[in-house]
Amino acid sequence: MFEVYLAFLLLTGIVAGIVGSLSGLGGAVVIIPVLTLLLGVPIEYAAGTALIATIANSSGAASAYVKSRLSNIKIGMSLEIATTGGAIIGALIASAIYAKGLSSDIFIIFGIVLFISIIPIFMEHKKGRKRRMNKDWTTGAFQLSGKYYDRAINETVRYSGFRWWFGELVMAAAGLISGLLGIGSGTLKVLAMDWGMGLPIKVTTATSNFMIGVTAAASAAIYWSLGYVQPLLCAPIIIGILAGSYYGSKKLDDIRGSRVQVLFLVILAIAGMEMILRGFGIA
Amino acid sequence: MMEFEDLLSLNLRLGVILSSTLMLIGLILISSESGIGITTSQLINPVAGSGSHGVGIAQTLGGVLQLHGISFIFLGIIVLIATPILRVLLSIMSFLHRGNWTYVIITSIVFVNLVVAIAVIPGLIAK
Repeated sequence: MFEVYLAFLLLTGIVAGIVGSLSGLGGAVVIIPVLTLLLGVPIEYAAGTALIATIANSSGAASAYVKSRLSNIKIGMSLEIATTGGAIIGALIASAIYAKGLSSDIFIIFGIVLFISIIPIFMEHKKGRKRRMNKDWTTGAFQLSGKYYDRAINETVRYSGFRWWFGELVMAAAGLISGLLGIGSGTLKVLAMDWGMGLPIKVTTATSNFMIGVTAAASAAIYWSLGYVQPLLCAPIIIGILAGSYYGSKKLDDIRGSRVQVLFLVILAIAGMEMILRGFGIA
Repeated sequence: MMEFEDLLSLNLRLGVILSSTLMLIGLILISSESGIGITTSQLINPVAGSGSHGVGIAQTLGGVLQLHGISFIFLGIIVLIATPILRVLLSIMSFLHRGNWTYVIITSIVFVNLVVAIAVIPGLIAK
């Protein structure tokens, strides 16, 4: 019986990993509705599991991005001041909400955040080319420039970002949501750097992945001490998600912007709706 | 001489591999243990099962030495949480080595935040 339980969770993790990477939202966002709505796991434990899964996913992906020099370590590190700070506050707010028995609020917030996260993915493909050398006083002060090799156009791209303070502000919100809900909030991180700081989308995605692990580590430690990290839930789910996202990330470029991705996003939108309904006690 | 980025990349990859291996060993050990004192229905219901409340590093390492499956999984999770923290520590050292004081300070602030999350707040919660 125990083996059946493990195999089932492992499979759940694999599916979440595939859907997460193919939709572009990450396995952690998928695992929370699956665990809560389908398996009846209390949302604080689902969030605890998702946070640990987020670290695993981020570290795995970032390892490749750092090696290919796509992640900008300085920009990531400087923004982690805000994400880790926000994550701590978010995790503390979550613990206060759970202590008051208001987990239905978390369901509602999760559903809304899931909805909002889907929108930028639809818009991503319509973006035109932007200026790459944005500058203000923070560009020099915080060394917000770099270069990467773009395989698609076969040249080295130099770039710089600006409005560091604005990036910090949005990152604090991203960290807070991450700690509150147990997700990586990669979409908001990408928005902060792309739209807020004028950095190229490739660098933004790679740097966001690099930052998510540290952000999630801060809130994961707090979830651990609250007792919301369940080893028998974490182990099969995380091994599954790692395998699923590894497979999914290889396929992502083939289906990016296609109907398959739209289908996954629609499924996630329905999951978001279900979470909101559950929060209001309707579902 | 290994470049800093390669070292960070290796740190992240090894962390994930080590952690998932530990979790896998834990699951295999649990499956082979005749009884771990909890029923399957309790396992599926996390509230009744064994959560992380009050579990510390010393206890986890002790359990690993006694080949307890659960402790292997907890150690895997600790390794996973420690991986990005080690990444921040490595960065501080690298910026120190390069004499980039702005980033020594920035990275140290991130590290202090992590210490607050890992050591200070759990201490307050436990009280």
